[in-house]
Parts: sequence; C-alpha cells; structure tokens
Amino acid sequence: MSQWARMHGRPWAWGWSMAALLVLTSVICAGRAQAADDGQSAIASERAAHSLLIDAAQAGKRLVVVGDRGHILYSDNQGGAWTQAQVPSRQLLTAVYFVDATHGWAVGHDAQVLASEDGGATWRKQFEDLAREAPLLDVLFLDTHHGFAVGAYGALLETRNGGQQWHDVSDRLDNPEQLHLNAIAHVKDRGLFIVGEQGSMFRSGDDGQSWASVPGPYEGSLFGVLGTARPATLLAFGLRGNLLRSADFGDTWQRITLSTERGPFAAGLSGAALLDDGRVVVVGNAGSVLVSEDDGETFTVNSRRDRIALAAVAGLADQRLLLVGQGGIHLADAQGQDLEVQP
Amino acid sequence: MSRQTPRAMPDEQQATALERLIFNHRPAVIILCLLVSLVLFWQATLIRPSTSFEKMIPLQHPFIERMLEHRNDLANLGNTVRIAVAVKEGDIFDPAYMETLRQIHDEVFYIPGVERSGLKSLWSPSVRWTEVTEAGFAGGEVIPTPYDGSPASLDALRDNVLKSGQIGRLVANDFRSSIVDVPLQESYPDPLEPSRQLKLDYQQFSHQLEEKIRDKYQAQNPNVEIHIVGFAKKVGDLIDGLLMVALFFGVALLITWALLLWFTGCLRSTVAVLLTTLVAVVWQLGLMHAVGFGLDPYSMLVPFLIFAIGISHGVQKINGIALQSSDADNALTAARRTFRQLFIPGMIAILADAVGFITLLVIDIGVIRELAIGASIGVAVIVFTNLILLPVAISYVGISQRAVARSKADAHREHPFWRLLSNFASARVAPLSVGLALLAFAGGLWYSQNLKIGDLDQGAPELRPDSRYNQDNRFIIEHYSTSSDVLVIMVKTAAEQCSVHSTLAPIDELMWTLQNTQGVQSAISLVTVSKQVIKGMNEGSLKWETLSRNADVLNNSIARADGLYNADCSLAPVLVFLNDHKAETLQRVTAAARAFAESHDRDGLQFLLAAGNAGIEAATNEVIESAELRILLLVYLCVAVMCLITFRSFAATLCIVLPLVLTSVLGNALMAFMGIGVKVATLPVVALGVGIGVDYGIYIYSRLERFLRAGLSLQEAYYQTLRSTGKAVLFTGLCLAIGVCTWMFSAIKFQADMGLMLTFMLLWNMVGALWLLPALARFLIRPERLAGTRGSGLLGH
Repeated sequence: MSQWARMHGRPWAWGWSMAALLVLTSVICAGRAQAADDGQSAIASERAAHSLLIDAAQAGKRLVVVGDRGHILYSDNQGGAWTQAQVPSRQLLTAVYFVDATHGWAVGHDAQVLASEDGGATWRKQFEDLAREAPLLDVLFLDTHHGFAVGAYGALLETRNGGQQWHDVSDRLDNPEQLHLNAIAHVKDRGLFIVGEQGSMFRSGDDGQSWASVPGPYEGSLFGVLGTARPATLLAFGLRGNLLRSADFGDTWQRITLSTERGPFAAGLSGAALLDDGRVVVVGNAGSVLVSEDDGETFTVNSRRDRIALAAVAGLADQRLLLVGQGGIHLADAQGQDLEVQP
Repeated sequence: MSRQTPRAMPDEQQATALERLIFNHRPAVIILCLLVSLVLFWQATLIRPSTSFEKMIPLQHPFIERMLEHRNDLANLGNTVRIAVAVKEGDIFDPAYMETLRQIHDEVFYIPGVERSGLKSLWSPSVRWTEVTEAGFAGGEVIPTPYDGSPASLDALRDNVLKSGQIGRLVANDFRSSIVDVPLQESYPDPLEPSRQLKLDYQQFSHQLEEKIRDKYQAQNPNVEIHIVGFAKKVGDLIDGLLMVALFFGVALLITWALLLWFTGCLRSTVAVLLTTLVAVVWQLGLMHAVGFGLDPYSMLVPFLIFAIGISHGVQKINGIALQSSDADNALTAARRTFRQLFIPGMIAILADAVGFITLLVIDIGVIRELAIGASIGVAVIVFTNLILLPVAISYVGISQRAVARSKADAHREHPFWRLLSNFASARVAPLSVGLALLAFAGGLWYSQNLKIGDLDQGAPELRPDSRYNQDNRFIIEHYSTSSDVLVIMVKTAAEQCSVHSTLAPIDELMWTLQNTQGVQSAISLVTVSKQVIKGMNEGSLKWETLSRNADVLNNSIARADGLYNADCSLAPVLVFLNDHKAETLQRVTAAARAFAESHDRDGLQFLLAAGNAGIEAATNEVIESAELRILLLVYLCVAVMCLITFRSFAATLCIVLPLVLTSVLGNALMAFMGIGVKVATLPVVALGVGIGVDYGIYIYSRLERFLRAGLSLQEAYYQTLRSTGKAVLFTGLCLAIGVCTWMFSAIKFQADMGLMLTFMLLWNMVGALWLLPALARFLIRPERLAGTRGSGLLGH
C-alpha cells in the first residue's frame, strides 16, 4: 500500500499531525520573531561599529565600547574584530566602566544602568527612570559592590550591592542650580572627583559619603576628569580647549597651554585615558588627539584629517590608539591618524 | 508575380468598389490629400517638445498616488541646481579661487528663475560658523570680516569653514571644491513687467548656466573647473538632446533616399515614395498635436517608425508597379493592378503593426500610452498616404522606362543569389536550420536570465554614462557626502503630532532599519536635525546626540528643520540616500520599508511609500515587471490570431510566429549582454519589434502559399517567392533599420537603447523570415495538400 493510501486510511491522524506541525511551526516562528525584534533589545547590525560610539573601557584584556541605540561591542584581539553584545536597550549609552575583567556597568539616557558579569558579552538592565527625562552621563565603581553614577540636572546615584538597588544621593552635593554632572573619576591616594556644567567641581575623600565643592578656575563646562599616574594629580577638561591640571586634588589649578601651528587650540575636549605605558591622551572635537608623555604637564596637539568629533580613547598595543566618537570605532596610530585597516 | 495574374477579364470588371472609387476620382483624391496636408502641416508646426513629469510615471501605482497626494507638503524638498567650483591645483583657500567663487555667486544671483533668498555659497551671509563658548553660542559668517585675500584672512576662512559643519555639504571633503547651491522658482515675476509671472524655461536656464557660468569662468580662471548638477540642468540637457534627434531624421532621410534610388533606379518614383511618406509623417505629427499630445522623448520615436514603415510599404508598391508596368499599357493600369494586388496584404501588415502598438496601452505610463496612440494614428495614416495616395500619384508620373526595362529583365532571368537562398527550404538544409535555431533559442533563453529590470547605470539614467552631466554628477558624489538616488518615505501623523516622541522614536528606528539594509548610504529626517540641535543645546556634547523625551525640548529642536515637516506638522519625509538605483537595490529597500510600515503603522502614525526619484523608479520597475509578461503574451496572441484569420492555418501561423519568438529571446539576451535593463524605454520595443516584424512573415508566406497552390515544390515555390518579393523584403528590413538606427547616436541614453534594440529586432526578424520560415515550412507544411486548392484565407482570392 502506498504511503498516500495509508494516510487516506487514517484521516484523523493525518489531520492531527498537520495541526501539530502548524502549531509547532508558529511557535518556532513566534520565538524567532521575539528574539529578532522585541522592540527593546539592541538590533544586531554590521553598522553598529560605525554608529555613534561614546565611551570605551578595558575589561582585562578585552576592549568594550558603548554608544547609540544600545550598541555595545567588544574585541579580544586589540580591535581587529568586534562582536556586538546582547543588550536589553536601544538608548544612547554614555559611559562604561569595568571594575575587573568580568564586572562592568554602562549608563545612558532614560537614566538607564546596564550591568554585565561576563566581561561585556551579555547585559541586563538594573535601573531606568523615564520620568527624569534626563540621561546619566558617567559611572564609576570602587569595587564590585560599591559604585556611583552621575548625570544631568545634578543626579548622583549610589549602589552598595553591585547595582541591585540604586539610591538617589544628589543631595550630598551642594548644587542648588542642579548643574549637569558630566564625569566622575578616581584620583590616586585621595578619593573621588566630579566635574560638570559651568566649571563646577566636587570632591570626596571618604568614598563618596560626603562631598565638598571645589572653586575651579574656569566658568565654562567641563566634560571630563581623569586621575593621572601620580598621587593627588588630575586633569579636568571641557569647552574650547580648556585643559586644567591640579597636583593637589583640586586645591590649585594650572592651565595647560595648547597650541597648533595656526594659533591657539580651541576645540572642545570630551574624553581622556591614562594608558598602560604612562601616556595621557585627551580627545575631542575636530579630530583632536592630545598626547602627553609627562603625566599631563605638556601636550602635543594632533588633528585627524577627517576632523570628526571624538568622544573617548583607549590604548592598544604598540602605542596605537582606539578612538571612538562620530563614525564609531577608529583604530589609529600614536598621533591619532587612521591606520590603513579599519574594522 | 505578373505571370500568375489571370489576364482573361478586362481590368475594369475585376476592380473592387474601393478601387473604382479611388481611381475614377483621381484629381479629387489628390486635392483632398493636399488640403488635409495643408491643415495638418499647420498643426504640425505648432507641436512642441513636452517633458511633462507626470506622463513619465505610473500614475495608478500606490507609491505615486501617495506622492502626488502629498505633493504640496513635499514641495520644499526642492528643485535646486548645484554648481561645484573646483580647483585644479591647490585648494580652495586661495585668493583667486575665492574671487572667482564670489563672481559666480553674484552672477548666478541675477539669472532669472533663481530663488535669490535661498542662494547659498561660502559667500552668502547665511552660511555661518557656530561655536559653543562659555557664554553660549558664538558665530559669524564664514567669510571673515574684513576679508582682503591675505594669508591671514584665508587662514581665518579655513578655521571658520572647519567650524561651520559644511564639509561634505558646501565644501568638498578634500577642500578642493565648493558648491554654489541654487534653489529655483518654477515661476517668477517678469523683470520687465513685474505683475506678470513667467514660467521657468529649463532649456534656457540650462544654456545660461553653460554660457554665463561654465564657459565664462573656466575661461577667466584657468585653474577652476565647473560641475553643474540638478533637475533643471538635466531637463535642459534632455531637451537639447531631443533637438539633436531632428538632425537624425535628416540623416535617415538622406540614407533612405540613396537606398531607394539604388533600389528603384528611378528618380521619379523615389521622390514620389519619399514625398508621400513625408506626408504621412506630417499628418501624424499634425494629428498628434490636434489630439493634444506634445513631442516627448519617447513619442519622438514615432515619426521615425512611421517614416520607416511608410517607406517599406512604398517600396512594395513601387516594386509591384514596376513589375506590372512591364506588361501593362500605361502607368494608370499598372498602378491599378498593383493597388488591387497589394491593398489587402498591405492592410493586414498595417493592422499587425497597429495591433503591436495597441497592446502597449496595457502599460500604465503616460508616455508609453501616447507612443501607442501616436504610432497607431501613424500607421492608420499610412493606409491613406502610401496605400492610396502613392498609387494615384504614380499613375500620373509613372515609372521611368529604364526602371521598367530593368524589372522586365529581372522577371525573366535566373537569380543565383535567390537560388542559393532557396536552399533554406530544402530537405537537407532545413533540419540544420531548425537545429541551429533551437540551439540559439536555448542559448538565448539561458543568457537572458541575466536580464535585469530597471536602469543599471550610475547617475541620471536618461543621459549617457559618459555625458557631461553624469561626469559632473560623479564628481559631486565622489567629493561630497551625498547621493543622487533618493527614496522618500512619508511619515503621516495627526496635525501637530509630527514632533512628539512617539512619532520621532519610530522614525529613528525606521532610519536605522533602512541604514542596515544593503544599498542604503544614509538617511535624514527631522530626527537627524533634532538630535543635532539637542546636542548643540547641550554645548555640543556627543553624549546628548539623541532624542529627548521632553516635549518642549523636541519642539524646539525641530524648529529649524525646514522642509523636513509640513506646515501643520502632520507629515515628515524621511530621505533615504541609496548607493544606486538598480532594481534589486530598490526592491530590497522598499521591501524593508514596507515590512517596517506593516509592523509599525497604527492610528495616527503611518509610514507611506514613496516619493523621491528612487521611489518613482521603484514604482516604475514594479509596473514594468508586471507588464512585461502581459505585453509579450498579448502581442503574440494578437499576432497569432491575425495570422490565423489571414491564412486559416495553424501551420502557417507557426511558420510566421516562431521566428519572431526566436528574435524576442535573442533580443533579451542582447539586452542582458549590453547591460540594458527592461524599462520604460525598452519594453515598447518588444511590442514594436514583434508587430512590425510580422510584416515580413506575412509578405513572404502569402506569396509562398500562392506558389504552392500553383503546384510548385516547396523549394521552387520559395525561389519564386524570393525572386518576386525577396528584394523588397530585404530592402524593407534595411529601411526600417536605418530609420531607427540613427537613434543609437542620441545623447539620450534610453533613445540610444531603443534604437539599438529596434534595429536588432527589425533586422533579425527579417533574417528569421528569410531563413527560418522556409525551414519550418519544410516540417510543417504539406505542399501536396495545398497544390491545386484555392485559398480559403483572406488572401485566397
């Protein structure tokens, strides 16, 4: 008897198996559709590496970058190849911080905080506050439990349990105008330092439990702060090429003079890194890449030919640099010019 | 031929009513034709080139319907011309360059039709640099004040340009050229009489750009090179190209005249044929204008076709009259006999042409329909001019004795060439021919898989890839961050809702989805502007370059997004820049956009496809793709039915139609080989090629059948056929091919493509009729069954 005839012999069985198959197929399809597009998770995209990226961090040997549309990418081979992480967010992420090779946090718009426990490959959402209508702008952890996030309108959030709960502790700062807090950094042997809008500065010597305002020398906005290799020494930088250095945790400041062949340097500065080899690199608008080999006392000024706005920098082997900003990831030489091969 | 004509009855008794009507009132016929010609000539002189945009697009396609529905809201997207002024040596920060740029800016300002307030270049006060300072925004004009051309002021200029954000827009990425952006007004007040509005004349405007800008300043400053692109320039170039076509008509006329003279050996009949055919062309043009059509780049083909078809019918007539003259008493008798003999086959051939043209009405594109109607009018006119007026005219002027003597000699001598060709009908050669045809058919079918829908070249598809315009276009694509292929998706919301977060966030997502679609370069919309402005409001920090959830912030942020939303904030276009306009690219991107619309459309938010040149091309491609098969089936069906009615025989129909099928397949393969896509311009060629190509088959088969009925063997019957009509068929093929092949030299790409394809189709159809038809007849026709019977078809009288 042919198969066809057998099926006709038991029509109900044929019908049931068809129905089962249909249900199964639709479940599989629905599941797949969910994974592809739940409206919440970042979309896997080949262009992610070329979208707007804002910050870069090192998780052990691994490089992790974050940016627009919930894009987080990581590379285990010095930026040669990038993998897009699974991220439950489509928001613009503004900062990323790894406290060790596995534990990291990223913050962004909608006051989102995302956390990873596997070196940046997968992320989950710890905190979000749509009602603020304001972004978090930087994040820093002292250990795997204790961390701070700063943001717009004077937001200061703290966690003591690795991000399970976040508490708004903005009132620890004397910030009546609710100025944006743009960046937070650790200064060697002394404590924490926050910079923000209109040249505002705050410091804490007791792991962020109490904060004091620091009268700064500059009234324009500061976008970043970086603790250097030396004790009590830090750099603060912001609008129009303003770069300040203090060797005494902010008591006194010195303006670093920056100049180009064609006059004074005046591009906004947005990100900085202290590299493993001791160099200090500051990046900013108009393709600016400032490099110091003396702990930030003097800088040479480089301008990338493409003049793109850069947001952050990290070090690579052989003095090369990983730059992120407009156009995503740029692998560059020690002066910030593009290498031949781009990811 | 003449030997087969029964001579028993007097001519007058054999004549049909129509023949009597015409030949008994010859002066009336001539005068009537003269009067009609005068009226229609007057009409024809009034015909003007028309480049109506709407006629070139499929108006019933949903993309186009939505585009036209929202036309006013999209108006700002604009009709602009961009003039790139490039330096050959050095960069733009050079006093001589800046001076030339200033002069060009000022000169353009005064060209009529320019929307002066929108004119933009480095020299316009509206082009500014901005910078965020401690005190807020600072800014100024990019040209520093004072500017004196000194190195210091050029340095300041360089700094300002860097800060202006115009790199890739007004200034090339490599600083070696900059753009004068010239928005145009469709109508503007007459400078002499300000109350009157003048319509922008694209051709004149384009010429002014050439003379007053390109020629003048390239001569004045040898270090600059000027590139001009934009819709107005393109249309101007197209109209110039159209006028060139008139020249081609003259060339075709001359060549045809020479060929005719060689063929007939008689100046009188040559002039008669040319004149009556020109009368046909004049009538056709006059009638076109009378029914309200203009001459567009497509319907320009019609006069050429009508001329070629007219000549070919004229040649058949002259050939017949010359043969008749050898034993008729006078020119009148010869003309009458020829009229009697050729009127029916001529009518059938013309009907076949008309059927081919009429099938084109299936395509929902104005220019194609006008072409179909225009060409149908044209062939109808040929019935009057070449089937009626020509024999009447010849009955007066006659044919020169020399020509008559030649045809008399021809009728009796042996023709080795035709004898050789008659082997195509032999039992030995026929299987070989059929085998070869099958091989060519299979090969053509296989190769035509590579055939693509749509336009395949970069740049403006209407013009040749190496044309001045497309070179300029390439320059701008290479040096600036823009593309000339733009798909516009219209996002429709309730009034005042285009700037809320729940609208902007999905638009942002759409843009990202599309940017991740292969073939998309970039996308801009009011979201792009909003993000930039929000970043700017936050001191230029990249950390803020995203949409805000705050309604006031969003509202403020789009205030300067002119043209990216409409007056009542209910429609926002998303401009998607594509790498090219190949069919696959368009299909992929529109499919992605449709899928997005399906999953994101809701009450009060709709994503509508599509506008922009790429949107129009996508719609056109869809229409073409769906019409292609229908046209082919329809035209073959019509032609087959006509053959069936004419010959009352399936075998005969196959003999005539199969060679045409081979031509169509090979034509497709040729298109694939030449990189010509199936598009508005080439689709009609299929129908025209088949419709006209069937003429040869009808002429040849009708004679062949007659000789077979007379009891000749197939090969002998074919020899007789060739001897009497082969020359005329060959000549007809040449005439038709010459009529259209001059088009290959047109500056307009699609006319060149049409010319090439039509030439191929017409020549190859002739080859098919002469070579393949007899071979097929060897297999399909039983001569012994035809022998001695009287035909039952239309020709069997």
